[in-house]
Amino acid sequence: MSASHKPVGWNRTKVLYDAALLAAVAGYILAYLWVGPLIQRTSLPLDEQTLAMKAYGSCAFLMLTLVLCVGPLARLDRRFLPVLYNRRHFGVITFAVAAAHALHVLGWYFAYSHLPQTEALLAADTSYGQLRGFPFIPFGIAALLVLAVLAATSHDFWLSFLTPPVWKALHMGVYAAYALVVMHTALGALQSATNPALAVVVALSVALVGGLHVAAGARERDGAVARAAEVEPGWMATTTVDAIPEDGAVVVHLPDGEPVAVFRHGGRLSAVTNLCAHQNGPLGEGRVVDGCITCPWHGFQYRLEDGCAPPPFTERIATYRLKLDGRRVLLDPRPNAPGTRVEPVPVPGAAA
Amino acid sequence: MSAHQEGRDGFFIGWSDRLPRGLGRFLLVLAVLVVGGVSLLGLALSGGVEDPGSGDFDWAAGERTLQGVLTAQPYPVLWLPPAPGRPRAHGVLLSGNGKAGVPIDPATMEGRLVEATGLMLRRGTIEMMQVKGDPTPRDPTVAPDGGSGALVAEPVPLGRWRMVGEICDGKCYAGAMRPSTGLSHRACANLCLIGGIPPVFVSAGAIEGTSFFLMADKDGRRLPDGVRDLVALRVQLEGEVERRGDLLVFKVDLDRARVL
Repeated sequence: MSASHKPVGWNRTKVLYDAALLAAVAGYILAYLWVGPLIQRTSLPLDEQTLAMKAYGSCAFLMLTLVLCVGPLARLDRRFLPVLYNRRHFGVITFAVAAAHALHVLGWYFAYSHLPQTEALLAADTSYGQLRGFPFIPFGIAALLVLAVLAATSHDFWLSFLTPPVWKALHMGVYAAYALVVMHTALGALQSATNPALAVVVALSVALVGGLHVAAGARERDGAVARAAEVEPGWMATTTVDAIPEDGAVVVHLPDGEPVAVFRHGGRLSAVTNLCAHQNGPLGEGRVVDGCITCPWHGFQYRLEDGCAPPPFTERIATYRLKLDGRRVLLDPRPNAPGTRVEPVPVPGAAA
Repeated sequence: MSAHQEGRDGFFIGWSDRLPRGLGRFLLVLAVLVVGGVSLLGLALSGGVEDPGSGDFDWAAGERTLQGVLTAQPYPVLWLPPAPGRPRAHGVLLSGNGKAGVPIDPATMEGRLVEATGLMLRRGTIEMMQVKGDPTPRDPTVAPDGGSGALVAEPVPLGRWRMVGEICDGKCYAGAMRPSTGLSHRACANLCLIGGIPPVFVSAGAIEGTSFFLMADKDGRRLPDGVRDLVALRVQLEGEVERRGDLLVFKVDLDRARVL
């Protein structure tokens, strides 16, 4: 999506993004597998396979941690938005690293047995009746399956096929995957660790993810967000014209929880749903660029007056009616069908 | 999209080739910090891995052929005669390839003089042979000690003990895998036990100078499948300990086992 109608595909930003991401993964893995053994104080080196399991497993955990930090970081500091832009590639590479961990485990701990590997996976550890030694591998398998589904459906085809709300809900499964990975690690590797380094890393990671989400939530509550209240039949008070920045928006939460973004551009006000038609991105945190609302996540654009993406793009979002009561902005909470034209409301005294 | 608008308030648009002013430097610093930071973290975590012990295959010696007396209970052991510096018969645990034990029919092989060929694994006082093929019965008249039964010392009771430690599979612990202990390795250890590899108990303390015990049930037979719930955990076990040659056998009363 672009104002100049370039198709979305590989671009310089994505290439640089993936290059940095792969450099980080390679740096971690090579440091773990090649440089680390030089400073290990062990009687004999660890098996290459075991070391690889540890390297890929911990790498996947850290990547999952970072990918979950991207969203709240971008809300707390807009400079992190470029990290969010290509987050799907981050997720797919995370799955690939997690799969590498699983393959090393299968090829070492579950190989060389008379049992088939899949049967061995289920038969080797069945102590479900005890807390100490509760099987941790099923948590890892479940997490890998969730990540596999997310990676497989990460393409825009699936986004379009499933519709953004369903796709978004499905991809919130990454939080379930993270919880499963934490359990997998806590019941497995952490129980075997003889030094606290991994436990510290896991604890700090979980605290970081949780802390950033709490902070971002608090910022959203305290930020450019208003709650609508009905002041006359069919109209709800939202915010004041002075609270809306030029070329920016205030997000209004309707009583049913629906978020609406009220934009100000060229001395006129327009209201649209806060959810981008692409990935439900927060349009109200975007900007008006070249006369179009521009989503902060992936740059999808919509005209202020009708919520339609400029041709040849076909995305449409719901619009809302507005009127002014002095400096107070009133909103009709009933959404118009996506793409319905609503004439922007002039702000008295504002320069066009 | 005009460059003027794009750079005005630092608003990033992914499909645009132009970055807002200052953002490029921020992202470059961020990328360098992330790549450098995770590389250092990988190095730190790798440098702090646990010591897997000194067990290993004796690759230098290659395949060896040993002659001794085979016993099948509780698990296959090849007994070598005493030698200079080794006053007692020496028990070598036996395993097959991979996570498999040596299939031995006690009815026909128990107490027989045999010849076995394979790779040796060694860790401290544990010695195991990964047998290639099956042990071959030999004529007792050509045995090193001129007979067979004399090699297997009578069990010497060492009393009832309560010990804390970890149940492992004898092959990985002897050096087939590094590391071979802890919960991470549990499924592998259980697969080894399912395959017939002898289980060993590695105690926190030592009896007669050893902290490694071949395990048996309280009647001296193979352990039941239920022992797998205790593998790779810190456990407290009770039972009779007896010495057979230079091997200590821990005859565990699993009903009194406790996970710590």
